[in-house]
Amino acid sequence: MSVVQAQPAPLAEEAPVSLWRDAWYRLKRNRLAIFGLFVIALLAFTALFGPYLTPYDFLGQDLEARNQAPSLAHLFGTDDLGRDVFSRVVYGTRTAFLVAVVVTTIALAIGTTLGAIAGFFGNPFDRVIMWLTDVTMSVPNLLLVVVINASLKTPIAQWMEARYLETLNPFYRETVWIDFLLVFGSMALISWPPYARLVRAQVLSIRSRPYITAAQALGLSNRIILMRYVVPNALGPLIVAVSAGLGTAMVLESAFSFLGVGVNPPTPSWGNMISDGLRVWQHYPHLLAAPAAVLGLASVAFSFLGDGLNDALNPRGSK
Amino acid sequence: MLRYVAMRFAIWIPSVLLVMMAVYALAFYGAGDPIKLIFLRAPGDVAYNPERIEAIRESAGLNKPFIEQFGYYVWNLIQGDFGNSLTSGRSVWAMVKAAAPVSFKLALCAIVLTALVAIPLGMIAALNQNRRLDYIILGSALFLWAIPAYVAGPLLMVGLIVLLPGVNVPYGWGGVFDIRIILPLIVLAFQPIALIIRQTRAAVIEVLSEDFVRTARAKGVPEIVVAIKHILRPVLTPVVTQLGLIMITIVNGAIFVELVFGLPGLGRLTVKALTNSDYPVILAITLIGSFLVMISNLLVDILYPLLDPRAVDAKRSR
Repeated sequence: MSVVQAQPAPLAEEAPVSLWRDAWYRLKRNRLAIFGLFVIALLAFTALFGPYLTPYDFLGQDLEARNQAPSLAHLFGTDDLGRDVFSRVVYGTRTAFLVAVVVTTIALAIGTTLGAIAGFFGNPFDRVIMWLTDVTMSVPNLLLVVVINASLKTPIAQWMEARYLETLNPFYRETVWIDFLLVFGSMALISWPPYARLVRAQVLSIRSRPYITAAQALGLSNRIILMRYVVPNALGPLIVAVSAGLGTAMVLESAFSFLGVGVNPPTPSWGNMISDGLRVWQHYPHLLAAPAAVLGLASVAFSFLGDGLNDALNPRGSK
Repeated sequence: MLRYVAMRFAIWIPSVLLVMMAVYALAFYGAGDPIKLIFLRAPGDVAYNPERIEAIRESAGLNKPFIEQFGYYVWNLIQGDFGNSLTSGRSVWAMVKAAAPVSFKLALCAIVLTALVAIPLGMIAALNQNRRLDYIILGSALFLWAIPAYVAGPLLMVGLIVLLPGVNVPYGWGGVFDIRIILPLIVLAFQPIALIIRQTRAAVIEVLSEDFVRTARAKGVPEIVVAIKHILRPVLTPVVTQLGLIMITIVNGAIFVELVFGLPGLGRLTVKALTNSDYPVILAITLIGSFLVMISNLLVDILYPLLDPRAVDAKRSR
């Protein structure tokens, strides 16, 4: 909704209904999308204020209350070390959102830059960039990230250790950052192609539209053309792509933690909780069900919202 | 036509080389010393004997510059030699050959299942456009698309055991005609099914507004005949073009499905290699995965003009 507020007021003429208000009306009619929006808002709230919501420390072990089934004291039960599963799921939400937002931001920056270069300057940039895009998209992304993570972990860890010995700055001893750095970097490296393609297509199509020619003929400055005509028209599909990208990044992060190449324990992540739960689900199904259900819910919510946004912002595309 | 195929192929080869080089460079610069990795696991303290390590490195050609080693790797690859596993010392090719049939059979079944389930469902959705049935099918497709395999697999497994006590845990591999294949197959097909339902629906809606459909209906052709004869044929084109994407979702999904259900395929090999930092194996599987996707894309490029002759002219003029 910040989008609606950020929209500058119409200049001189009275626009009856702005593009964004129109889109919001259409979005509101889509019940699944509103459900998605609600779930995402709830999860985002949880991620932001997690530390104030959790009744226990996510690392706090209570060895007297191990492997407990869900109860009022422990909403999602406790795990094999007596840690509160609810608190861990809440902290997992923080991890998931942090990764999703950072990765999508980096990927968006790379993709937009490359796509804009390809669209504006044409060949030979266009050909090389599009070729890179095709190649990146044709590698099974999971395998690529796994290879990147697995092979860069040791060099980065060694570099951090060397820096620590040099500076004695405890920051370099924080191995959690290595995990996050690797996850951010490797995921951004495979996530940019869709944005690049989209931005390039937008630039190419908008540049040749009659209303741009008309605006130029009227003598409007490039800045106004860009702000008033190019950006709003390009923004719709990009918002849809970002919404889908956030969901994908969240699922990917869990996937890597599940495989043991993402965020490592004890940092809670839905992925490594599922992976732990998978070992004991026959005895303690709640250890598996709680993180799996939350991850599934988040993923489905992003999917519904992205679909609704697509219908709302690109009314011509969906018949 | 032949020129078209040759052109596609010419574009394809540098792409494969680029992927191979990127993956090889990652392993080359990032993996650490392969000799040490081998001998850290070997008995004795060879790993801490620099002279022996240098001697072995020399004999294996591992002290040569990157490009030379990469060329050597590619040359061996062309001859079908993927090198040896660091942990077991077995030839990687033999390990892949043992695991691949399981994955391929599973993937093939998943594709067949996808085609059988998704195309009819997509058509039904389109023919009932914007009615309740359409929303149900579309909503389910979105749901299936979003639910990750490592969530769906375990939850279905838990559900099955709880609902049907006395059923064995569907764990392990017994061939395509074994009952244990059902659950992994369904989970693996989730994402492709969702993808194809949406593709088919969009394509059918487009075809429905074509003149020849209206004509057929106007002259009284039964609806079912219209659906199969006039609509299905042009719909296949956009669906077939998704083969590359389907391949990606299946390769990705297989890793989790095989892990969750304990199938001895390429996915489980990947995970095992990953935990052991067995780089030759990881490299080989990544290459095979990319190769599969790229082959699918190439196949689509070649098939496309056969399915839709108009596309060739459009591509030439581009």
